[in-house]
Amino acid sequence: MATDTDVLVVGGGSTGCGIARDLAMRGLEVTLVERGNLTDGTTGRMHGLLHSGGRYAVSDRASATECIEENEILREIAGHCVELTGGLFVQRPEDSDAYFEEKLEGCRACDIPARVLSGREAREVEPYLATDVKRAIEVPDGAVDPFRLCVANAIDARAHGARIETHAEVIDLLREGDDVYGVEVRHDSGPGTRVHRTPGSTEEITAEYVVNATGAWAGRIGAMADLDVEVRPSKGVMTIMNVRQVDTVINRCRPKGDADIIVPHETTAILGTTDEEVSDPDDYPEEEWEVDAMIDTLSELVPILTEARTIRSFWGVRPLYEPPERDTRDPTDITRDFFLLDHAERDGVAGITSIVGGKFTTYRAMAEEISDHVCEKLGVNASCATATEPLPGSENLEILEEGMDDFGLRSPIARRSKQRLGSRSREVLETDEANPVICACEGVTRAEVRDAVSQSGSDLNAVRIRTRASMGNCQGGFCCGPMANELHPKYDEPTARAALDELIQERWKGQRHALWGEQLSQAMLNYALFATTMNRDEDPADAAEPLEYAAFDHGGR
Amino acid sequence: MSDAERSIDDAPDGSTDEFEPIQVFPEAEEMDLRPGADNCYKCSTCDTNCPVAAVDDEFPGPKFQGPEQWRLKRQDDRDVDESVMKCSNCMRCDSACPSSVPLSQMHNTARGEYVDERMSKRSREYLRNRMLANYRRLAPLASTFPRTANAVMGLSITRWIGEKLLGVTSEREFPEFATETFREWWETRGGNAASKKRAREARAKRGGDADDAEKRIAYFHGCYANYNTPEVAKALVRVYEHFGYEVLVPDQRCSGTPMFANGMLDDARRAAETNVAELAAAIEDGADVVASCSSCSMSIRQEYPELFDFADTETVAETTWDAVEYLRVHEDLEAELAGTSVDDEFDSFAYHAPCHSRNQGLNGQTIEVMSAIDGVDVHDVGDSCSGISGTYGWKAENYETSMKIGEEMFEHMADADAEAGLTECPTCSMQMEHGTGYEITHTLEVLEAALVETGTDE
Repeated sequence: MATDTDVLVVGGGSTGCGIARDLAMRGLEVTLVERGNLTDGTTGRMHGLLHSGGRYAVSDRASATECIEENEILREIAGHCVELTGGLFVQRPEDSDAYFEEKLEGCRACDIPARVLSGREAREVEPYLATDVKRAIEVPDGAVDPFRLCVANAIDARAHGARIETHAEVIDLLREGDDVYGVEVRHDSGPGTRVHRTPGSTEEITAEYVVNATGAWAGRIGAMADLDVEVRPSKGVMTIMNVRQVDTVINRCRPKGDADIIVPHETTAILGTTDEEVSDPDDYPEEEWEVDAMIDTLSELVPILTEARTIRSFWGVRPLYEPPERDTRDPTDITRDFFLLDHAERDGVAGITSIVGGKFTTYRAMAEEISDHVCEKLGVNASCATATEPLPGSENLEILEEGMDDFGLRSPIARRSKQRLGSRSREVLETDEANPVICACEGVTRAEVRDAVSQSGSDLNAVRIRTRASMGNCQGGFCCGPMANELHPKYDEPTARAALDELIQERWKGQRHALWGEQLSQAMLNYALFATTMNRDEDPADAAEPLEYAAFDHGGR
Repeated sequence: MSDAERSIDDAPDGSTDEFEPIQVFPEAEEMDLRPGADNCYKCSTCDTNCPVAAVDDEFPGPKFQGPEQWRLKRQDDRDVDESVMKCSNCMRCDSACPSSVPLSQMHNTARGEYVDERMSKRSREYLRNRMLANYRRLAPLASTFPRTANAVMGLSITRWIGEKLLGVTSEREFPEFATETFREWWETRGGNAASKKRAREARAKRGGDADDAEKRIAYFHGCYANYNTPEVAKALVRVYEHFGYEVLVPDQRCSGTPMFANGMLDDARRAAETNVAELAAAIEDGADVVASCSSCSMSIRQEYPELFDFADTETVAETTWDAVEYLRVHEDLEAELAGTSVDDEFDSFAYHAPCHSRNQGLNGQTIEVMSAIDGVDVHDVGDSCSGISGTYGWKAENYETSMKIGEEMFEHMADADAEAGLTECPTCSMQMEHGTGYEITHTLEVLEAALVETGTDE
């Protein structure tokens, strides 16, 4: 029986997109389905650390070694998603000397370049560090934009013939006897790029092989074919500061603990995190103490955080897994290694493999290993090229840096735009039309927004993750409307309005956890703006009864 | 021994607890002001109050120059946008902001960084700006031969060369240099000793304690009152002595205002260091500092503490006053003026409050003080900016913008029932005169005419 596709990948996070790209480059026919936008699960809810491996150098040297290897590869193939910030493991006076030594030895043993800085030298690198920090180990940590990286993988997979379906939720695994032969999905708005208000549909997609790359949701997908996948989702909070208090990744140099990392991420700094097991990855409490702990604990390293502005907080769920024979209580002790569960070997059900565990930095290596496995299963003889082929946007970056072209933009806007677009800058930013700034907080121009719209239909959250528009300090207060405006005339007014509603909701969601001080004032201003300029408080157009205009006078005296 | 064992922070004698603070922000242009962006809600009130943005569509406005540009910056970025040079440094955005964003501090440091990193030190623009910012360096030469200098500066050929060679607009007439500077007059008059005596006499005459040594001020005259309008400086001295104050005139350099506005922060730092040291010494001697120029007082009170951290910077900032403000607070100025009158030459004025007075919260005081004098009719010409903003309107490329900004003020001056102008800022006064042809007077000169008997001090 001919199938719709060779391989069906479930999950549009870093793992799924990485596998789709890898297999498509090897010449296989690939379809990827994702229930929301790309990165909507765990990938888009991480702190954006590109590990040097330093964090694992004491507890898990195998992971540490793998991290530094992949870190070096990503700098090459994904230069436009990565910022080489460097990182510090900072020791406070009360932190153990023995652990500091262990950390340093671990880094050396794993070939992670590491250098010890005095407290004074560390403060010269990062002036806002506490004045009493004792010393620090400098390592090649970096910052990575998970959205751009994931999207670039998907774009390249598509360029190699893959079909990428977002807003396509798997509602059933197709199983006959001991064989899984595909999935049934529900398209939110018909197949293809999402357009609001288009009627939904369901579709059966048959495949030679199914890869369950849904991370924390892997148990739920497995259950659809009566397969047990003992994933243990664990939540963690990330709190976003309005500006970068630091330009280097700051880690606390002590054994595991909550609130021990600050990652400079684009224009912001992200504080992380907590580690608490939850039963349902879609429904768990987002608690105030978690946010408070981030600020209180991390201000021991960077005191200015106590008075700094928080713009939002978000939670992610780690897809932790441990083989049934182990019995680890504390989720922080569960390995960050990944597991490939071949259900044929494990459960006697052919045609499907689940991937659980793992971490973002090593997504490519995981994808390579899984793709090797799939090829072996399908009897395909093809080798992996993802370690050397640059992602779209990262080809010939050195040429871009030499080119001084600012595309008529003011310098900081040109700089940030070129950093986001990499080698696609000219293609996107060179235009004969006027190119005003749409999102002033992040320096995103109309050309970049339009490019994103061309990739993702009427979905403004998809535009947001591609461009960072609406991710700055006003959290969309000033740019949500202008972004929706760019959907027109390709999409009609009701479609643009539905997309706008969805974006405003999404922006509000994270701000609920930052409503004090400056961000509270910002939310009040945003409310007033939305209400007075777009009737977002109560729109007469949405009323059941048409407005009685005759009830008003004509405004004269 | 591994790096980890190396005791880097330990002093040779083993005392490790003592923390020695390090100078993490040694230079103003290296300051990290990103946290200042936390206060910004993007409300754009600053943009709607910016006089440059109102007339120049190309200028992105203070919100971009300040919090947006700073927030987009990384520690190592060295590419401040060139539009920061179009900011006139009127600082109206500071008072417009409802949320205390340190806008002018952000603009000043960004401009300093732009000039340091991106402006060629051999460009005509740099040389011209450096010259304008350091007008004080040329002034002593001109005032040595004031008549020759005035004649040469007044020649149309000089102005033509100024524009072609340096980009200084030929539309404006250079201010005249006085034949005797204020400081020359002060020395001839007997300096501090003479002032001490006069103040003592005045105190006795006023029925106060002749030995009250508390009444002592240090006068920051700035450059313009010294070289160009010594009559303003003399008026200050006489008015203060009338109230029984002993006047000190410490050594001083430019306040720094034109240097901030041109991104010449090194020059500004050098000047500020001298001023802070000299003024701090005067304060130590029991004096309060007063200034007759609204930009000089603004600079010492706000910009010094925002940009520099020499010893005593804060003390000097807290002890510095506008000359009229000081009298209103420490004396009953209005009661003193009640029943006084002035000659016909001062009977009616169109008054413009300089932006830098406005920023100090002083925009209403002149009208109130003047109304206490019989026969003086003062009309406030509104809250617009005069448009010249120091050296800004002198640059050929800004001349038109400067005049467009000034238009509202010119119109209001023409509409007011007055044939003369009144203000406290030297360059506003140049602009007022340039736009209307009116004679412009400083408030202290009117106070002198009302309070001080003529012929007592020549």
